[in-house]
Amino acid sequence: MSKHAIADELSPELEAFQRKIEGLVGTILLVGVLASCALLLSGMVWRFAESGSFVFDYELNKMNLFQFMIKELTLTIEGKFRARLLISLGIVTLLLTPYIRVLASMVYFAFVEKNLKYTLFTAFVLTVLSYTLFLR
Amino acid sequence: MPTLGMPEMLGLSIAAGFVGAMSGMGGGVVLVPALTLMGLDIKHAIAISIVSVIATSSGSASAYVRDRITNLKVGMFLEVFTILGAVVGAAVTLACSERPLFIAFGGILLAIWLTMVFQVGKQWHPMAYQDRFSKWLELRGSYHDEAQKETIHYHGVRAYFGGPFMFCAGFIAGLLGIGAGALKVLVLDLGMHLPPKVSTTTSNLIIGVTALAGTSVYLANGFIDPGLAAPVILGVVVGAFIGTRVLVKLSNSAVRNFFLVVLLILGAEMIIRGIRG
Repeated sequence: MSKHAIADELSPELEAFQRKIEGLVGTILLVGVLASCALLLSGMVWRFAESGSFVFDYELNKMNLFQFMIKELTLTIEGKFRARLLISLGIVTLLLTPYIRVLASMVYFAFVEKNLKYTLFTAFVLTVLSYTLFLR
Repeated sequence: MPTLGMPEMLGLSIAAGFVGAMSGMGGGVVLVPALTLMGLDIKHAIAISIVSVIATSSGSASAYVRDRITNLKVGMFLEVFTILGAVVGAAVTLACSERPLFIAFGGILLAIWLTMVFQVGKQWHPMAYQDRFSKWLELRGSYHDEAQKETIHYHGVRAYFGGPFMFCAGFIAGLLGIGAGALKVLVLDLGMHLPPKVSTTTSNLIIGVTALAGTSVYLANGFIDPGLAAPVILGVVVGAFIGTRVLVKLSNSAVRNFFLVVLLILGAEMIIRGIRG
């Protein structure tokens, strides 16, 4: 096997960009989890306040994330089951957190680093996730 | 749905998150057996567990990414493989009958036990060369190690093995509703020769996206009950938060031995239940 010398470190500007994307990714992940928990907690507290129990009487029957979101919004507009909307939003937020993180990474690789390889890798991940989450 | 009360779910989840954070194994490994012992069927337990894995992994990964130890490119490249594995694994679980799942779960727990028992504390040294493929993938980086007080430069190797193995790790994650972090770390550490801290932190990042891929399959098939998911997610996050705070105060060997025992018991118990039916 041929030996290749290790490439030099990244240029200073790429280093700076990398620092920024790392900061952004970290923040997205943290905010996503915290927001999700806040929503879930509020939903549970509200439910307890309105009904004295924590039981939520609904199930997710064979729908993807997109349909789920639409359904929840429709129900809210009709004025029903408000506590459950918070729970649904909490779960949706949690699921979208890694998704948005991947999206941000793709934008970074495409427009900031202008790195074709990693834009494609990230686009692939995003496509698979989008398909299984939203389109099936 | 069985009559699993909210207090029980919450308590169980907090315990699972706590144990998971302390052991570095993630909550799924404890959560799934615990939920099934409480009467939930294994497929629903797996579905809820994998949702909670998104929460715990994203939470811990955020800290490591901001500490700039995680390698985003290594993570992204390997996620290509893990998400495919997770989708396939989840599909297999849904198609499978329950008893093989118990046996598989127990088997994986014992496998993880083995990896922990045979962990040799060797010194990490940078490798002298990097294969062409890994070089093309730009799998290099550096981070500042607080403990050793120096900046460590490294590069990943053997990405052509790392990818396919990660498919398997993703498959196990999707199949059993766990993070499979121990297996991912193995690939990153032994396979791709990344420094230990980079391995664990990058694995954490990968776990989140992998869990999401698995979740989408369970979601699309109606296996996620929001009423159960909500307290579980909250509990696991709280438990993990407490666990990470407590972890620093305990001695390494005490924690390690405790979890070796827990793994062994849970693993054997799951296999026995699978065989007995």
